[in-house]
Amino acid sequence: MKIRYLFYLALLAFIVSCKPEVNEFTPSNGSADFKTYVALGNSLTAGYADGALYKSGQSYSWANILGQQLTTVGGQPFVQPVVTSEFGVLPGKRKLGFSVDCLGVTSLGPVLDNGELDPWSNHIDYTVNNLGVPGAKVAHLLAPGYGNAANLQAGLANPYFVKFAASPDISVVAQAMSMSPTFFSLWIGNNDVLGYATSGGAGDVITPTEQFGQYYNMLAQTLVTGGAKGVLANIPSITNAAFFTTIPSDVIDIPDSPEGQGYLAILNGEHGYAPYNAFMESKGLPYRITFSIGPNQMVIQDPAMASYGLPAQLQIRQMVEGELALLTLPQDSIKCATWGSAVPVPNQYILTQAEIDNINAATIAFNNIIKQTAVDNGLAFVDFNAIMVDISANGLIFDGITFSTKFVTGNLFSLDGIHLTPQGNAVVTNYFIDAINAQYTAQIPKVSVANYPPIVFP
Amino acid sequence: MRKITLFLLSSLLFSMTIYAGGYQVRLQGNKQNGMGLVGTSLNMGSSSIFYNPGALSLMKDKLHFELGASGIMSNVDFQRAGSNENYQTDNPMSTPFYVYGAGKINDMIAVGVGVYTPYGSTSKWEDDWTGKLLIQNIALKAIFVQPTISFNFNEKFGIGAGFILAMGDVEINKALNYSGDANANLKGSTTSYGFNIGAFYKASEKLAFGVDYRSEIMMKMKDGDATFTVPTALQTTIPKDNKFDAELPLPANLDFSISYQATEQLLLAFELDWVMWGTYKSLDFTFKEQGALLNSTNPREYKDTFIPRIGAQYSLNDQFQLRAGMYYDQSPTNEKYFTPETVSLNTFAYTLGLSYSPIEKLSIDVSFLQLFGQTAEKEYTPSNFKGTYQTIVYIPGIGVSFKF
Repeated sequence: MKIRYLFYLALLAFIVSCKPEVNEFTPSNGSADFKTYVALGNSLTAGYADGALYKSGQSYSWANILGQQLTTVGGQPFVQPVVTSEFGVLPGKRKLGFSVDCLGVTSLGPVLDNGELDPWSNHIDYTVNNLGVPGAKVAHLLAPGYGNAANLQAGLANPYFVKFAASPDISVVAQAMSMSPTFFSLWIGNNDVLGYATSGGAGDVITPTEQFGQYYNMLAQTLVTGGAKGVLANIPSITNAAFFTTIPSDVIDIPDSPEGQGYLAILNGEHGYAPYNAFMESKGLPYRITFSIGPNQMVIQDPAMASYGLPAQLQIRQMVEGELALLTLPQDSIKCATWGSAVPVPNQYILTQAEIDNINAATIAFNNIIKQTAVDNGLAFVDFNAIMVDISANGLIFDGITFSTKFVTGNLFSLDGIHLTPQGNAVVTNYFIDAINAQYTAQIPKVSVANYPPIVFP
Repeated sequence: MRKITLFLLSSLLFSMTIYAGGYQVRLQGNKQNGMGLVGTSLNMGSSSIFYNPGALSLMKDKLHFELGASGIMSNVDFQRAGSNENYQTDNPMSTPFYVYGAGKINDMIAVGVGVYTPYGSTSKWEDDWTGKLLIQNIALKAIFVQPTISFNFNEKFGIGAGFILAMGDVEINKALNYSGDANANLKGSTTSYGFNIGAFYKASEKLAFGVDYRSEIMMKMKDGDATFTVPTALQTTIPKDNKFDAELPLPANLDFSISYQATEQLLLAFELDWVMWGTYKSLDFTFKEQGALLNSTNPREYKDTFIPRIGAQYSLNDQFQLRAGMYYDQSPTNEKYFTPETVSLNTFAYTLGLSYSPIEKLSIDVSFLQLFGQTAEKEYTPSNFKGTYQTIVYIPGIGVSFKF
C-alpha cells in the first residue's frame, strides 16, 4: 500500500514538474538598424591593453563586446582584424610579475611579458567591422594613405592601419563607408590631447581646436550620409587615469636618520640648492628649493621658466601640489640616482600645472564639439568625461566588483594605466548600450561585468 | 533494510534548501504539512513537541511516535537587469526530517523528545555564474533536539515547555575577483540553546486554540575555517588558511492558531505565524588574520513577517484522511539588500496530504507542497547586483506515526 502511494506522489510531482522561467527582457532594435555596425576610433576601440594590441586583449575590446550584443538585435557578426599573437603587435604587452629594483627589493608590478610578436607579413584581407586604430587622432581617420606601408617612413601612415587597410590609399572613414554601415560608433579625439599628456607636454602638440572641430564634423557628416545612426563618445578626463595619478609628486622621502640628516644638509647647503635660492631671491623670482625630513616634492625641469630669461640649468624647480608625475618615470632613478632631489626630473616625465591647464582647456573645447555634433545629428552620446570624474571621486561598483581609477587594484585600467581591463571594457560597453538604448528606444541587452577577466596575478 | 534506511537518512538528511521566508523550514510533521503547515491548534500527537508543547499532555494516546522527512526540490531562475541572460540554481534535493516520541506519565503530565530541522538553506549556483562574487553556494543546516514536558490543568487546558539544543553548521563559497578560480570557502559549526513554550486550550468538543513561542537562537560561529584560494603573488596578503567569526540569528516565532471541527468528518484550522526576522540585521565576518582587509559587514535588514495559513482535514473513514491547505509567506528581505544567497520571494503555496491507517496503531502520512515565488526584480545595492528572480519548489513528504 505504502509503495502505491509513493508512486502516486511521484507521478503527481512529475505532472506538475516545471521550471521557473523569468522572461522580462526582449531584445529590440528600436528605431535603429544594427545590421552593419562599424566601430571607428583609436586604441580604446581597437582593444589595446597592457601596453600592446594582443590577441585576447583585442577580443575584449568594448567594440567587440558591443558587436556581440548587437547580434541579438539584428546585427551581423562583428569581425575584428585579429591579432594572432598573445604577446602583441609592435611593443610587447606587460604582465604582472616580480622584479628586483636597484636597492635589491623584490616587488610585484608590471614587467614585460615574453613571446613572439605578431608577424608583420600577414596583411588582413577580410572585411573588418572594428576600424579602431591605436594612436589615431581625428585628422588621421580622414587621411588617405594612412594605411599605406610606403608612408610609414615619412610618419604619414600607421602600422596598425597598414595591417588591415582594404587598399593602400584608402582612409579609415572611406573604408568604413565602403561597408555601407547602418550603425557606427565614433570614439575619437583622445589622442589629440593624450599624445601631449603622455609625453609630459614635450613630445607632441595638442590639436588646435578649430582644426579639431573641422575634422570632427567632416567625419560625422561622412558617417551619416547613408542614413546610418550611431553613437559618439567624448574624451575622458585623462589626467584622472592611473598613468598620471600613480606616482605622487612628493615621492622624495628623506628618513629621519643620520644618513637622512646628512643628505638633507647637502641638499639645502652651499653645495646643494642654497645658491639657487639666493639667485632666485636676487632676481625677485618666487622659486625656492628646500628639503626637509619626510616626503618632499620632486625637483623637476621646467622649460617654461625660460620666459624669465633663465639659462637651461636654472630652469628647474620643485613640483607643487596638483602637478603630475607620469607612470613612465623610472623608479630606480628616483631610488638610486637621486632623481627628484639632486638631479632634476626631465620634463617628459612630468605634467606641470600649465600643461595640465592646456590639457583641460583642450578637452573641454573638444568635448563641446563632440556633444554639439551628437545633438545636431540626433546621435547617441556617452559622456565618458563625466563618468571618469565620477569614478575618480566615488568609485563604481558592479556585480560586486569595485572599480576605481587606481593602478592595478582599481580593476579599471590595465597595466599601462591608460587602456582598460576586460572588466573595464565591459563597464564601458554597458555605458554605450545605455546611451544607444536611450537615444533609439532600443533594448540591447547589457553584459555581465563579472563574466570578464580581471587583471591577471601570477 | 534498516541499515539501508539509515544510510539513506544519513546521506540525505543533512542539507536543506531555500524555502520561502528566509531560511526557515517548517516541515515538522507530515499531517501538518498537508494542512498548510497549520499545527499549533491541532493535536496530532507527539509532533506537538514542535508545534505546541502545551498540547502534548492532552494527546489521546499513552505513547506516540512520529518520524518522517520531506524532499525539497527547488529551482530558482535569475535574469540580469537589462539583459536576457538567465541563470539557474542547481540545488540538490534536501531533506528536512523529524523524529518525535512522547508519553504520558499520568493524566496531567507528558514528556517527550523531538529531533527536527527547522532552519536551513541550500543555494547552489554555477561556480562561474554572474553573481559569483556574491555567492557561489551556501549550505546552512541546523538540527534541534528538544526534550519537552507538558502539563495540563484539566481536560481542556495544557501548557508545555521544551529546551532546545541547536546544532548548526554553515558552508559558504564565493568567488574573489582575482584571476584563476580565486575563491573563499567559509565553514563553521556551532551549538546554541533556546526554548519552545506553548499553551493549548480546547474550548469545546469542536473548538481549540493554541499559541506557541519558539525563542530566537543566535548561532555564533567561533573560529570557523576560512580557506582562500588566490594567485600565488597574493598569498602573503591573503593567507590561505584563516579563521573567522560570524553569527546568524534563527528568529523567534510566535504562532496563534484556531481549529474548528465543522462536522464529524471535516476539521478546519487557521493560523497566523509571526516570524521575528527583524533580528537579522547584518551578516558580518571577522577574520583572525588580515582583518582590516578581509572583514566584511553585509547588511540584510530583514523585517518581521506574518504568515496566514489555512488547512482542512477530511476523514473519509477510519482508514483514510485527506488534507489540503494553503498559505502566503511574505519575503522578510529588504528592498535594498536582496541577495542570491537566500532567494526569498513572496510565496504562495498549496498543500495536499493523505493519511492511511492499515491498522489502528499505525498511520502512514504523505504530503505534497508546491510553492510559487512571485516573480520580482530585486537588488543588492552594496554590490550593485540587480535582476529578476522566480522560484518554484516541490516538496513531497512521507512519515509514519505509531500510537500505543
